[in-house]
Amino acid sequence: MAPRSDNSKRLNELRMKHGRPPAGPNEPKAAKAEPTLREQQPRFRGLESGHRACQGCGEALAARLVMESAGPDVMVANATGCLEVFSTPWPQTAWRVPWIHSLFENASAVASGMEAAMKAKGKNTKVLSFGGDGATYDIGFQSLSGMLERHHNVLYVTYDNEAYMNTGIQRSSSTPHAASTTTSPVGAERMGKRHLKKDLLSIVAAHHIPYAASASVAYPADLQRKVRYAMGVEGPTFLVIHSPCPLGWRHDSALTVEIARRAVECGLFPLVELERGALTNIMPIRDPRPVAEYLKLQGRFAHLFKKNDYRAAEELDHLQALADHNIAIYGLRGEGTDPVDTTGVAQVRRGGPLAGRN
Amino acid sequence: MGEMTRGQYADAGTSLDFKTGNWRSTQRPVHVHAKAPCHTACPAGEDQQAWFALLQEQKVEEAWKSLVSANPMPGVTGRVCPHPCETACNRVHVDGALAIHNVERWLGDEAVRLGWDYPVAAPAKDAKTVAIVGAGPAGISAAYHCVRLGLKAEIFEALSEAGGLLRSAIPPTRLPRGPLDAELGRILDLPGITLNLRQRLGRDVTVESLKAQYAAVLLAPGCEKAKPWSVQGAVPADLHEGLELLRDFMDHGALPDAAKGDVIVHGGGNTAMDICRIMKRAGAKSVTLITASGLPGPDTAPDDLINVVPRELEEALEEGIEVIDHATVSRLIMKGSKVTGVEIIALKKEPGKDGRKRRVEFEGTERVVSVDMVVPCVGEQVDPEGYEGLLDGAYFWPDNAGGRVAERVYALGDARGSRGTVAAAIGDGRLAAEAAAAELRGEDDPSADDRSTIGIDALNTAYYAGASRTLVAKLPVSERTFEAEIEGSISRTEALAEAQRCLSCGNCLACDNCWTMCPDNAVIKTAELAMDGSHYVFDYDYCKGCGLCTHECPTGYIQSVPETN
Ligand SMILES: Cc1cc2nc3c(=O)[nH]c(=O)nc-3n(C[C@H](O)[C@H](O)[C@H](O)COP(=O)(O)OP(=O)(O)OC[C@H]3O[C@@H](n4cnc5c(N)ncnc54)[C@H](O)[C@@H]3O)c2cc1C
Ligand SMILES: Cc1ncc(C[n+]2csc(CCOP(=O)(O)OP(=O)(O)O)c2C)c(N)n1
Ligand code: SF4
Ligand code: SF4
Ligand code: SF4
Ligand SMILES: [Mg+2]
Repeated sequence: MAPRSDNSKRLNELRMKHGRPPAGPNEPKAAKAEPTLREQQPRFRGLESGHRACQGCGEALAARLVMESAGPDVMVANATGCLEVFSTPWPQTAWRVPWIHSLFENASAVASGMEAAMKAKGKNTKVLSFGGDGATYDIGFQSLSGMLERHHNVLYVTYDNEAYMNTGIQRSSSTPHAASTTTSPVGAERMGKRHLKKDLLSIVAAHHIPYAASASVAYPADLQRKVRYAMGVEGPTFLVIHSPCPLGWRHDSALTVEIARRAVECGLFPLVELERGALTNIMPIRDPRPVAEYLKLQGRFAHLFKKNDYRAAEELDHLQALADHNIAIYGLRGEGTDPVDTTGVAQVRRGGPLAGRN
Repeated sequence: MGEMTRGQYADAGTSLDFKTGNWRSTQRPVHVHAKAPCHTACPAGEDQQAWFALLQEQKVEEAWKSLVSANPMPGVTGRVCPHPCETACNRVHVDGALAIHNVERWLGDEAVRLGWDYPVAAPAKDAKTVAIVGAGPAGISAAYHCVRLGLKAEIFEALSEAGGLLRSAIPPTRLPRGPLDAELGRILDLPGITLNLRQRLGRDVTVESLKAQYAAVLLAPGCEKAKPWSVQGAVPADLHEGLELLRDFMDHGALPDAAKGDVIVHGGGNTAMDICRIMKRAGAKSVTLITASGLPGPDTAPDDLINVVPRELEEALEEGIEVIDHATVSRLIMKGSKVTGVEIIALKKEPGKDGRKRRVEFEGTERVVSVDMVVPCVGEQVDPEGYEGLLDGAYFWPDNAGGRVAERVYALGDARGSRGTVAAAIGDGRLAAEAAAAELRGEDDPSADDRSTIGIDALNTAYYAGASRTLVAKLPVSERTFEAEIEGSISRTEALAEAQRCLSCGNCLACDNCWTMCPDNAVIKTAELAMDGSHYVFDYDYCKGCGLCTHECPTGYIQSVPETN
């Protein structure tokens, strides 16, 4: 073994590099600098700047919003995927909470263990488990189901960008019908993905867990209310957040929130809450808009707007029918205007959003 | 085992060490305080967005103070202004323009009721004094702005009362004398303003004498002289010009006997509109307005539109005034020197050979109607006495915003040929005072505000909806008199609710959208105001330039500009 001093030299180098001057127990602590503007902000920064997400990444936005209202007393188990990769490029991390990455398929299992460990230590620190749609709808599905069934006190959040983005936009069971991905390309045979988007929320809710809900980055106040509610629940809770991906959906990075908003307003991504398997709340849509207004902003649906291809119109109608179906079965039309419907909840006032202020 | 590998001690650094700001390739977000369209459209220069913002914070007195920093007479303009601000308001495209004039009037009345102090200080004892000719809205506004700028003002008014056309012509049904007197009185009582009544330029003083005695001379005499009117050389013996009739009526409440019969008013403009309504109310059998212009409608070109306050035209039609548009009086039918009928012919503005529009009468459309009285209202011009060498034709036509027509001499208000509303007169008062103050300091003319105006396309309307405009009660036609004010007032609750509808066009409303929605934590919210007046700063060390905040900023205060790095 090399003399200890060699290691501590290297450690000190690294500490200096990352802005942490060595301070032994006997050395006087470095004088605390004035907090920067960034540090003075009135919110918890659980996912910090400097991460490597694409411009306009919906997943980065969603995770930031979740951490703000869940933190700081939380620990995260993160499945493989964009979120894990862009937030932790060695030797840096964007996380400001304890965070564990193990595998693509086992975030729920890791979270279960973390929770059991906390329980054993008599701590209240809440465990969060994060995964993409691939990690949740598909490959981590059984470990998620097990975690829910064993009733661990974990909030599971899936960042639904509707494909395996980190490995190059492969279709997942969450990819919507007719979306084009690298493994469901448009061609002579098919207009994008043949199958339907899996209704994971219903499956999760069928575990009879206390709380399962969908949210969208277009409605941050609603999203954060749902996180806070889940944080207060003892037992397994689940949130699926619609998170546009400019790269995979092929849209302008400035339109991330606009597209998410239209997904909700057209009915393709209903915002609902289920408790013990029963529907307890929905976000009514004030003025439902045609699905075409949502789809036309995205390259993954460009083929649906091809002239002179009878299949385009047919698939467009199919997606409209799916949206109408959601509106019908969840009763999204509402009755009259509601202060927390899609239009009401978005209203701004001088000094902050109107709804969901805490 | 030699050196420890990095993987053996996972002492992670923070991603803050990695500056993603250098990913910005094409655009960066910046804060841009553009002009709100209401502000751009307001001839008096009010920044409605600014005072609505204060009302949104329930700061009512501060809102009034912000308003009167441009327009000292909100109680007047709130009643008489054609409010081009509302026509321009971006909320038109959402669910109806803001009821700006109603709130403006309420603020003016509240200031009178509660005795709020104008935000001005008494000028220094040795402050320079500016002479002002005319105590109409232009002159009074100029005096007020002189005091705001630390100058004293001495007004010379020919009549025995201040107010100009506000008092002598605008009917009390639109502008009751109570609020008018109260507001003007409060301004004229400010320290530093002296009002000399019954002092007429051309008779008691001259431009030269004023120039010799005062630091600067501001000419605001309005337009007093009727433009000559005849039809093919014929002029009836008992001719009464519109403004003169109106003034007489305001003074002693009487109209000539012929006004009991069938009356034709010839012209188009506020005077024509008001005299029509007064004669109708006084019992004329019929009143018909003959105007060469067109009535408001989708087919009417802006340069062809009748030049009256739209609300006044609407009310006149409600009251039974008939309007024959696109027509003129082509012949007077006289018995001796008295009019008994007129011939009317259709006309329209048509582009001629050189492309310039001129009036074309359409042969074959003549018709003769019998009448008891014809009232010309074809406009007024400056009474030239005393202004030799300064007038250019019938008016002053200064070539600069402040209105300078000679060294230390400025023209303002209606006397400038291009004006014609109370708000424009008030705006001129400010511009002239500012230009004069600069000239007296030996400085260049104040520079114009060349910021761009923000349109609806730059706003994100997803964040505003579902608040319809406050409706204001009006006196029904059957209850209208010569005195009672026709349009009602609004309550404090209504005014504050209406203010909440303001979209804050072009200026940050601290909604937190950018702070909430930046995926990169690159918008920093500050407790204090940032340098640019918002609460937010961009951290360009991390901003990737995605443009999301620009798109989601409801007010258009964030704009994406080309990246220059
Ligand atoms: C019937 C009528 C209705 C109108 N309605 C509206 C309306 O609803 N809304 C609107 O915005 N505008 C309206 N206007 C137009 C508006 O009144 C004028 O644009 C505005 O009053 C112009 O202000 P001013 O100060 O330039 O001139 P004025 O108001 O004409 O004031 C000029 C003052 O100068 C004095 N004066 C003149 N010559 C001399 C001199 N030689 N020496 C000393 N003093 C002198 C006059 O006595 C008068 O007091 C209306 C006009 C008329 C005639
Ligand atoms: C068992 C296993 N199979 C495949 C991979 C490769 N892999 C890494 S990330 C990823 C896609 C992740 O997709 P998703 O969970 O939807 O997250 P996203 O990247 O879209 O946020 C894949 C396939 C892996 N890491 N482990
Ligand atoms: S919404 Fe407000 S700021 Fe915008 S134009 Fe109307 S009054 Fe002006
Ligand atoms: S949202 Fe954030 S990263 Fe994107 S342009 Fe705005 S400040 Fe920059
Ligand atoms: S998004 Fe809201 S807080 Fe941010 S600059 Fe625009 S108005 Fe201000
Ligand atoms: Mg995915």
